[in-house]
Amino acid sequence: MRSLHLLRMEGAGFVPPSTNDFNLPPVFSNNPYTTKPVLLVFLSVIVVSIFFIMASRKAAIVPSRLQFAGEKIYEFVRNDVARDNIGHEFMRFVPYLFTLFTFVLTNNIFGIVPLLQFPAMSHVSFPYVLAIFTFIVFHYVGIRKQGIGKYLKDIMFMPGVPKAAYILLTPLELATFFIVRPLTLSLRLFANMFAGHLLLLVFILGGDHLLKGVIGLKLISPFAFAFGIGLTFFEFMVQCLQAYIFTLLTALYIAGALADEH
Amino acid sequence: MAVKDEGAAWSIFGYLLSGLLFWGGAGWLMDHWLKTHFFLLGGLVLGAGAAIYLVWLRFGRE
Repeated sequence: MRSLHLLRMEGAGFVPPSTNDFNLPPVFSNNPYTTKPVLLVFLSVIVVSIFFIMASRKAAIVPSRLQFAGEKIYEFVRNDVARDNIGHEFMRFVPYLFTLFTFVLTNNIFGIVPLLQFPAMSHVSFPYVLAIFTFIVFHYVGIRKQGIGKYLKDIMFMPGVPKAAYILLTPLELATFFIVRPLTLSLRLFANMFAGHLLLLVFILGGDHLLKGVIGLKLISPFAFAFGIGLTFFEFMVQCLQAYIFTLLTALYIAGALADEH
Repeated sequence: MAVKDEGAAWSIFGYLLSGLLFWGGAGWLMDHWLKTHFFLLGGLVLGAGAAIYLVWLRFGRE
């Protein structure tokens, strides 16, 4: 009975993780822009730059381990994402796709790197900006390639449909190309990173709180931590997958804009 | 091929979403102005139908 009462007391002391855990105070209090996500984004740029400069500086026929890793990542984006989807003009887009992939991947993985442990993409403004870049790129490419009239006509009027159906379908095509695509692109990345971080917070903070409780709760605590560790590996998978999907969809949108008829 | 399928899956999702949002939204506005209750439902059904038609046109015709 007493332990049950204590249990309830323990429960009252626990503050479950919420969206407030994502609003971090500025690191340097005199500058409101120096929040953790912003600094992590800058750090990711530095990390990616240094990694690929190191990997490509002493390029050799027989690659070092670092060069091999760098080349594998580049080959993956170049061949599996760009070439297989865009076709013969793919080389023009490899720099953008490669930058996008490495940038998003690094920022996502920061979510599980000890001490950093925050995915910047769990703040929706970062994915918004990336999606706006992709939005501009694929529409610009399509307009340049086909001319603005033909490009819009291809989007709005699918061939081989009775004229009356255009009343129903044209608004959907426009909404899909100009609103839903950039929105889902950014929200998918944001929601995955946000939910993943929250999930880890629940298990790690929960385990920590249980450890401070009565003996019965202390015994449960390792399970919470074990789940937290398991979910960290799961998160790693999600983080890689989301970086890949963001890049892949960008490539597919570019491919769609380049194609004469889709 | 798997990559193409994944892209197709996401664009089908996009079409269904915009179908529901656009025609459902139009129906909701009609309800709002005319103080009725059936336009939203009708719009959602119409939007889903139009979106599925569009998906069939784009992916099912070949």
